[in-house]
Amino acid sequence: MHDPATDWRERLRALREEIGGLVADLPGPVAALTVRVGDCSLEIAWGPPSAASERAAPPRDAPSETERDGDLRVCTAPLVGTFYVAPGPGEPPFVRVGDRVEKGQAVGVVEAMKLMNRVVAECSGEVVEVRAADGTPVEFGQELVFLRPDGGPEAGGA
Amino acid sequence: MFEKILIAGRGEIAVRIARTCREMGIRTVAVHSTADRDGAAARYADETVQIGPPQPRRSYMYAPSLIEAALRTSAEAVHPGYGFLSEDPDFARMCAENGLTLIGPGPDVMETIGDKARTRALLAAAGLPVLPGSAGAVASLAEAEEVAAEVGYPVIVKAVAGGGGRGIAVARDLGELRRVHRETTASARAMFGDGAVYLERYLPRARHLEVQVLCDGHGAVLHLGERDCSTQRRRQKLIEEAPAPGLAAEVRERLAEYAVTAAKTLRHSGLGTVEFLLDDSADGAGDVTFMEVNGRIQVEHPVTEMVTGLDLVREQIEVAAGRRLTLAQDDVRISGWAIECRINAEDADAGWRPAPGRLEVFRVPGGPGVRVDAGFEQGDTVPPYYDSMVAKLVVWAPDRAGAIARARRALDEFAVSGPGVVTTLPLLGRLLAHPAFVEARHHTAFVDERTEPGPSTGVPPPGDGAIPPDG
Repeated sequence: MHDPATDWRERLRALREEIGGLVADLPGPVAALTVRVGDCSLEIAWGPPSAASERAAPPRDAPSETERDGDLRVCTAPLVGTFYVAPGPGEPPFVRVGDRVEKGQAVGVVEAMKLMNRVVAECSGEVVEVRAADGTPVEFGQELVFLRPDGGPEAGGA
Repeated sequence: MFEKILIAGRGEIAVRIARTCREMGIRTVAVHSTADRDGAAARYADETVQIGPPQPRRSYMYAPSLIEAALRTSAEAVHPGYGFLSEDPDFARMCAENGLTLIGPGPDVMETIGDKARTRALLAAAGLPVLPGSAGAVASLAEAEEVAAEVGYPVIVKAVAGGGGRGIAVARDLGELRRVHRETTASARAMFGDGAVYLERYLPRARHLEVQVLCDGHGAVLHLGERDCSTQRRRQKLIEEAPAPGLAAEVRERLAEYAVTAAKTLRHSGLGTVEFLLDDSADGAGDVTFMEVNGRIQVEHPVTEMVTGLDLVREQIEVAAGRRLTLAQDDVRISGWAIECRINAEDADAGWRPAPGRLEVFRVPGGPGVRVDAGFEQGDTVPPYYDSMVAKLVVWAPDRAGAIARARRALDEFAVSGPGVVTTLPLLGRLLAHPAFVEARHHTAFVDERTEPGPSTGVPPPGDGAIPPDG
């Protein structure tokens, strides 16, 4: 059984992952990107590093999937894998900056060994940043999504 | 040859593997838990991937994360070190399914040698001497009692899936057997997920000898001489040496021959260790019996490296890459004497309580014939989640007396301290100075008999674990 559509999807997906990894390694935010696969060509340009786009170091210790970061909480990767902002290709993302999320709501997924692992908000609040780019490889404990908990820093359960 | 290898271990063995890879021009990926983020292994590798929290089950033993880390970094092979998943056939299969080469003997061999009772039966059929005991796993307590009555007490009850000196207990009479059978079955189920046990006659004062074998995937089998690992505390090795002292030439040859037969029978590839017991006898010509086979690199591999001049990690990698051994048996020469001391963060004088912490002082010895394999450097913190080994001191000298003197000198130079940190350094010094060790009259119960009340059946030791300076 060979389905050309699946084949294309697979290729696109692989490409997306490759580019995701590449973009994550850039020292600054991506400005322009051109990819051609037949005869291979790649052009990429990036801007100066900004605080928000620097690759996040994993937190000092990741006992839970939610950490404090000043008055923000951060959802971290529950395992090594590939981070996706949406349940599937072409689907709307789980959350966007400015969205309100409820405790237990999925804010992304980490795919590992073909299994999707939901990253869930451990408190209710507002999404202030999605730090990891879609399709990028993430390590255990890597910061993915920042939330401002409802009712200030002490709310939402530690 | 591989361009990149993922090291699926931690601590000193991860550093050891990274060093050889660097010499071979192979890039390395170190995986680490959050507790090992600042560990030495990460400093010696080209890349790192944080794979999970401190608990091994969710990090170093969680196969999907290791495979994911290998695939993402484009590693072609995985070196499992020792411990963790190094002898797990399921992990070996998972690696193969994902196009990764696991540096080891392959899932089928792992499966066989992981079943101690089955290996024992296979090798007995191949002509290796085994201790009297059950033919395989015992099906019930009633069968265990029958076997014990037949072979005579004391008996040793061993988990079929055991290893590393765990899942083993001694019974001296029927009452003890009933308790030990129940406890070993329960602990084996908890530790290894398999409660099956088998029985053998117990030799209380035997010597633990093992032969290092090296096999390629094309049928060549070499032995690299033997090691004596008799200096143990509750079946955990403290001091190992190569060659074994005071061994009659005929016994040495027989051990090597048995080990080669074992490797061929099991169709082993890569490094393997075949373990034997030598029944206590003054002339070193006692009875040899087979115990078990391990298919991983062992903690004590450096003593073999020192007397053969080989790099065993390099040999493992070459074999895993499909190459033929370039050595012939005649090329393997044992030269001089090597001793390894395991320096653990444990307080031997307080019931061997683990005593990890920050290594404010970590001054390693040097000078002629001294090698230190460590997973830590000064300023590092020994995490409490893993085994307590801080470093291995390995020395080489032309003869045993010289090696003992050199090891004692190097132990004196070794300084390890920090808040709450206590090490086995003082104990190792006392053991090396002990007449029984110096005269090679030591055996597997030698330390326990001097530090524990009565026989070593798991009774907590008293507060004073000192080895007296004489006797």
